[in-house]
Amino acid sequence: MRVVLKTRPRVKPKIPIEAEEIIPQNFLRKNDMKVFEGNKERALDDLFFVTVEGPAVSPDQVEVILTGDTGVVKRVGEYMNAGRIIVEGDIGMHCGNFMSAGEIIIRGNADAWLGREMRGGRILCEGDAGHYCAAGYRGEKRGMRGGTIEVKGNTGDFTAEYLSGGEVLIHGSTGDLPGVEMRGGTLWIGGGCSRPCGNMTGGTCMVFGEVKSMLPTFIRSGLQDMEFQGEKHQMRVYLGDVANRGKGTLLTRN
Amino acid sequence: MKIEDVVCSFCGCLCDDLVVEVDGKKVVNVENGCTLANEKFMGDHRLETPIRRTGNGWEKISYEEAIAETAAILLDADRPLLYGWSGTFGEAQSVGVHLAEILGAVIDNTSTVCHGPSILAIQEVGHPGCTLGQVRNRADVVVYWGANPIDAHPRHMSRYTTYCDGFFLKDAFKDRKVIVVDVRETESSNVADEFVRVNPGGDYAVLSALRAIVRGKRDIIPPNVEGVSREQLFRVADICIAAKFGAIFFGLGLTMSPGKNKNIRNAIELTQELSRHTKFTISPMRGHWNVYGSNEVFTWITGYPYAVDFARGIAFYNPGETTSVDILRRGECDACLVVASDPGAHFPRACAEHLARIPTVQIDPHVNVTTHLARIQIPVGVAGIDAEGTAYRMDGVPLRTRRLYKGDYPDDQEVLRKIYEIVREAKG
Repeated sequence: MRVVLKTRPRVKPKIPIEAEEIIPQNFLRKNDMKVFEGNKERALDDLFFVTVEGPAVSPDQVEVILTGDTGVVKRVGEYMNAGRIIVEGDIGMHCGNFMSAGEIIIRGNADAWLGREMRGGRILCEGDAGHYCAAGYRGEKRGMRGGTIEVKGNTGDFTAEYLSGGEVLIHGSTGDLPGVEMRGGTLWIGGGCSRPCGNMTGGTCMVFGEVKSMLPTFIRSGLQDMEFQGEKHQMRVYLGDVANRGKGTLLTRN
Repeated sequence: MKIEDVVCSFCGCLCDDLVVEVDGKKVVNVENGCTLANEKFMGDHRLETPIRRTGNGWEKISYEEAIAETAAILLDADRPLLYGWSGTFGEAQSVGVHLAEILGAVIDNTSTVCHGPSILAIQEVGHPGCTLGQVRNRADVVVYWGANPIDAHPRHMSRYTTYCDGFFLKDAFKDRKVIVVDVRETESSNVADEFVRVNPGGDYAVLSALRAIVRGKRDIIPPNVEGVSREQLFRVADICIAAKFGAIFFGLGLTMSPGKNKNIRNAIELTQELSRHTKFTISPMRGHWNVYGSNEVFTWITGYPYAVDFARGIAFYNPGETTSVDILRRGECDACLVVASDPGAHFPRACAEHLARIPTVQIDPHVNVTTHLARIQIPVGVAGIDAEGTAYRMDGVPLRTRRLYKGDYPDDQEVLRKIYEIVREAKG
């Protein structure tokens, strides 16, 4: 089944739409899907032109395509557990929250909290992602726990905060404090960043670009050769953050 | 008439020893107050009646008309924002939260531009705090980090720290050690025993280094950490470890510099680390008079201290998404009610521009920058002068503020309750 959702023109286009019901499995069993526009509850087809093509017997066979002004649509793919979502443009905050399986492909940019507390599945963002990519909710002790997030562009501050499992691959640069409070999983940063892995207690972070303001509480423990995107790099290996127990590993280009 | 033990309604210290002389409906003298308090009590720039913007100017309107139009604006909105609250008392804040809930609005207070990051950090690792009375009587080491109390909280040092003798400190000025950490020299750093000058944005690294030193990992510290020498870091750590009771106070220099809530988390974790050796506490230097109260009131009603979004009928909280600055910058909200604050003066330009584009109503005693962005302004009594209610001091101690004279203005609670009644009737 192929479901195409194209945004309708709105009088107040900047008011966010909360659309956690847009997940493949819902298109198999629901025909009264609701979304919120500000403080007003709307039917899905009040805000989107909906086109459904072909049959499906399981959520794995459902592909949802979002087009139009989707940069203000939040929570798409929240709790997704099968199928595929393709966003032709930008996507709003909290895309892929808690997703456990399936695939989300974003052709444009993603706003903040992409893949928040994700458990499994795959997210590919072909543009940039905002702050708190692959992170946790406020006060939450664990961020992303499984699956893969790949961002072709750059990400904002606090990328992979509280990363606990899974793999985060950023081809470009990140903002401040990527991997802060990290406790597991793997974070790859192809570009630069500042103050990586503050207060990390576990996991592995690799930075292949320039590191600004390296924190003083990492202990250098040798060199290691690595390959990233077909190029070989010699990396400095640090253990830290020794401001706490310091069981994480940070590698930066020598 | 002289009134004693008056609670000041300017900053978070809530000094409760002011003597205020009142002549009819005017404050004519203030004793014991700082410069800020004197200006607050003696200032006389009150708006006389509600006003509404016309083509090129303003017209005076009645309270009934202003309240009815405000309710209509809020009812018409799809994403209303209710912002401010820190300059009014708890009872009015409570009505505001109920108004937000019934409207499906976002309600936010000035924590969003001051100690919001402190709250985020506290939600991660807790708050080893204490009352100002504990500090006054026990603290032999006081650290001001990113704060300049002499300018911003002028009586903090004389009532609670440097210049104030306590039960266990008979000669506080000699017995207490004061450490000031800042990016530049200030009036406060001039009276410090140890001034630690940190490079702008370098607080996180310095805090991490201090944590490592206190954990006994001195050998890994490089010769210089963000402008601070290793020797000075060792000295500061030794002073703190040797303290009988230490108190850290931090200001916006820490909450609003790069790293934000992670700076505060690091400072809290340093405090926890120091408490393995001695007794240490940490407290925010809350700026607005009753900003702590707005966090309390919001929390006991909604579960969240600021940036509460009722759009879906239940409380949702996510600073960065539901905070006023972010909502305004993204141009999301289509109406705004400002109560007891001046976002026009303190918010980024893009936010002020959006406030001017949408129908903004301000409930405030004075003409301020936000007046120039607003469509309607409703003047009210000033909390602690001609309006009374409960406020919270920066350490979480609630104090009752009194009305010093019966003025001609309704208070915030009365105006908000009338708006609430109209909205409730319209919503059925």
